[in-house]
Amino acid sequence: MKQLLAGAAIALMGLTTTAFAEGAENYPERPVMMMVSYGAGGATDFQARIVTMTAGNEDALGMPIAILNKPGAGGRVGWNWLATQADADGYTLGAYNVPHFIAQSIKGGVEYSTDSFEPIANWGADPAVFVVGADSDFNSMQDVVAFAKENPGKLTFSGAGLFVGHHIAALQLEKAADVKMAYIPNNKGGAGAMKAVIAGEVMGGINNLSDAFRAEQAGNVKILGVFDLERNEFLPDVPTLKEQGYDIDNASVNFRGIMVPKGTPEDVIEKLAATVPAMFENGKVAGKMKAGGSPMKIMTRDEVKQMWADRAATLKELLAGL
Amino acid sequence: MTPSLPRLQHVIGSGIVAAVGLWVAYVSYTQQPSEAFLFPRLIATVFVVLALWTFAKACLGWTKVGNGISISQMANLTPGLIVTLIYIFWAAKGLGFYTATPIAFFILLSLYDPASHREVKSWLKRLFITACFVAVMYGLFAKLLKVYTPREIFF
Amino acid sequence: MEFLYYFGDVFTPINFGLLMLGTIGGLILGATPGLSPTMAVALLIPFTFQLEAAQGLILLGAAYTSTVAGGAVSAILLKIPGAPANIATTLDGHTMAQKGEGAKALQLSFLASAVGGVFGVLLLIFLTPVLAKWALAFGPSHLFWLAILGVTVIGTLDSRSVVKGLLSGCIGLWLSTIGFDDIMGAQRFIFHPALGGGINIIAALIGLFAIPQVITMFAKGRRNDGAEVIEVQKHSILDAMKELMRNKRAMGIGTITGSIIGLIPGVGGQIAGLVAYDQSKKFSPDRDKFGTGHPEGVIAAEAANNAMVGPSLVPLLTLSIPGSPTAAVLLGGLLIHGIFPGTDLFDNHPDVAWTFINSMLIGQILMCIFGLYVAGMAARVAQVPQSVMAAVVLGLAVFGSYSVQSSMGDVYVMAALGVMMYFLERFGFSAAPLVLGLILGPIAEANFIQGSMIARATDGLGPYFLTGPLNIFLIAVVILSILYSAYMELRTRRYTSKEEIMA
Repeated sequence: MKQLLAGAAIALMGLTTTAFAEGAENYPERPVMMMVSYGAGGATDFQARIVTMTAGNEDALGMPIAILNKPGAGGRVGWNWLATQADADGYTLGAYNVPHFIAQSIKGGVEYSTDSFEPIANWGADPAVFVVGADSDFNSMQDVVAFAKENPGKLTFSGAGLFVGHHIAALQLEKAADVKMAYIPNNKGGAGAMKAVIAGEVMGGINNLSDAFRAEQAGNVKILGVFDLERNEFLPDVPTLKEQGYDIDNASVNFRGIMVPKGTPEDVIEKLAATVPAMFENGKVAGKMKAGGSPMKIMTRDEVKQMWADRAATLKELLAGL
Repeated sequence: MTPSLPRLQHVIGSGIVAAVGLWVAYVSYTQQPSEAFLFPRLIATVFVVLALWTFAKACLGWTKVGNGISISQMANLTPGLIVTLIYIFWAAKGLGFYTATPIAFFILLSLYDPASHREVKSWLKRLFITACFVAVMYGLFAKLLKVYTPREIFF
Repeated sequence: MEFLYYFGDVFTPINFGLLMLGTIGGLILGATPGLSPTMAVALLIPFTFQLEAAQGLILLGAAYTSTVAGGAVSAILLKIPGAPANIATTLDGHTMAQKGEGAKALQLSFLASAVGGVFGVLLLIFLTPVLAKWALAFGPSHLFWLAILGVTVIGTLDSRSVVKGLLSGCIGLWLSTIGFDDIMGAQRFIFHPALGGGINIIAALIGLFAIPQVITMFAKGRRNDGAEVIEVQKHSILDAMKELMRNKRAMGIGTITGSIIGLIPGVGGQIAGLVAYDQSKKFSPDRDKFGTGHPEGVIAAEAANNAMVGPSLVPLLTLSIPGSPTAAVLLGGLLIHGIFPGTDLFDNHPDVAWTFINSMLIGQILMCIFGLYVAGMAARVAQVPQSVMAAVVLGLAVFGSYSVQSSMGDVYVMAALGVMMYFLERFGFSAAPLVLGLILGPIAEANFIQGSMIARATDGLGPYFLTGPLNIFLIAVVILSILYSAYMELRTRRYTSKEEIMA
């Protein structure tokens, strides 16, 4: 009887391990789902749909990636779901936005941190920019800061929410220029924040470079500065904040990429880490991204790991005072 | 249906609503951070006032009552409600959508379909309707819309 | 008149084929519970990768147009509003279907949709620059007052008791605060993990409307006493057109309310139908018949929610600001082809812009033709036996609420709200005010908080919320609406006895 049981147990174990090994080897066997923690049509959703559109090709995953939107509270809803409720079987991926999810986890009140996820690859880097309405009196960051110095706390400027890239940029600006301004978080994300600027509800705003570039092309806003280390190829004439004399680095740049929940089988992660960056490099993807005004930055798993760690350290310091 | 039954049910119903209102108010006024609960506090205050008003009217018998639920209706709906709750809260996830749905569908048809329970023909008809429904659901959601529903045992 | 020049482009074989495909597909998707227009359009985005810009947009535009109208099908026949836009349609539409007038209700809804829709698109064509200014005029304080105006509608939605209507509204407002608070990110009332993402409005709609109906069918039991069999009346399209002509007031109120409210970014689409329903009820001499299967209710609601389609795209096409989630998805469809909405679109790609707008115009008419064609057949759904109907609606509710976000949590929320609503309904509460609260809660809250943040940094709360012509106008409308409801309440009290109200 004992032997029989032992035999059965071994057989069962053999069965599960082979099934497991097979699962990793043949992964993916069915379409893969990617959670985006912002609404359909937002910048992250739009880019996620483009960079995953070639997933079904034989040289990529060989299976399509379907986008699943779980918007709410600046991304918290989606990432909480990914960290706590999603199946870590390799069939549920997630899109990350750095610094958003790292800043939120430092601030607390959520159930995830950088340890809850395993990065796969990075596809884009969208710096924050400072925008004002097309008819605004402000023509440079100096004008903005001078106004803020004279009227402490009275300069209203919009951004996509609290503890997202725009808010980080706002905090950096206040710190570097040593001024007090009124940051107005918008519940409708970057699009809502941009509308507030164009409609004149606020005096200025921090927004995504890709959206601001589009609004500038339409003649609705002026872009006064880029919150990055160097000028952007889309806006070669707009100086960085650093050039204008404010000590601000690239901590607010919105890095977008793919991650999986912790506990996903190691071989699945390896397979994804090997194939996904190549998938991003597809010429068709690059063409569509450029056409849409979305800057790309492809980074491998190891580079992303390093970037997450660096960002976590910077943000801890920046948010310590709050 | 005795005239007092809907009235009693109404008192119980509005009592539960009032209790929920009080709980919401308690949470809104005590939870931190308080600025995030500003709007809930406003709502809860109005909520409690209206709920207590309704409850008081119900107790005093001043109010127009809804239709209530008669004993026979209660007896009729209980089995269906139990099947529904088991289906939604356990079977759909536990057995997979395409296993649980035909089972629940077939049980509900058997419970509420007026056709005879003794004839083979009416059973076949129920099976046929169930099969058609599941086929349509599968075609629409799994094939056309590509929704990946929980599927434990098969598809 | 530039748009006439590009009309020919709509009728090339491929474009027209795509238009037909989008229209028919949109009707089916719209009639599927759980698939809001936004979801349906997002589902079609991958197909547009392969198409040219104008072709992709024809597909998306046609689908947008017809999903909005398709939502009326499930609202009328199954009492499951496909999207918030169709809530008001259920109020009279489903009652008509229960009386065997499903064909008439569907015909009226498609005709009204087409009239409203064509008007809306014409506004988009001729008045875009003016409308764009109007769309931008609504800041946080105005949106806040608009949400409050929506709350006052509650008084007329529930004809039985104003207090219970308001109480239902409060329950809805409270439910809307569950989950993460959108601005601060604090967790509120999350007493079950399924509520972590808040209550999804589409799942809630399905639960609140479909589940009570399923349980009501259970409560009728197994007996078939013959009285339940509904005779589905045939109704000719010509009669439907005549009926529509008789109800010019509801038609006009619906179309105008829908067009105006549809313009306002972020608010429009969801409440246009309900506000139009409320307004036409207030202006109608037959206001007592609303809610009992009155054609005016269906006409006003459907005219409004399709009239909103055209104007809702104004902020997107002119200012590159997506005013609604669906517009945001359409923006993606443009960007993917490297076209930026705004001046770039009309100056450099007029063929794309005008072909898209024209296709929506033709789409409205195609949608109406297909809709009328299926109305007669679809109305036969009312003849399906109760037992089958209950099981079908239950199955659809489960699949529909799951497919919104591929989440079991939404299914649990749907079921819990639905069962609760059944019992509340038996005690004289109704679902419509509760849903309205659920929709308006976040709009009122977010705009109040944003407004007060701006106000504190600038000229203070009082001046910010209470001055300015638009604020004063909206406040005046709110006060009038409340006074009117109170007046009506007192008047009906005088003429109706308790027994009549109970029935």
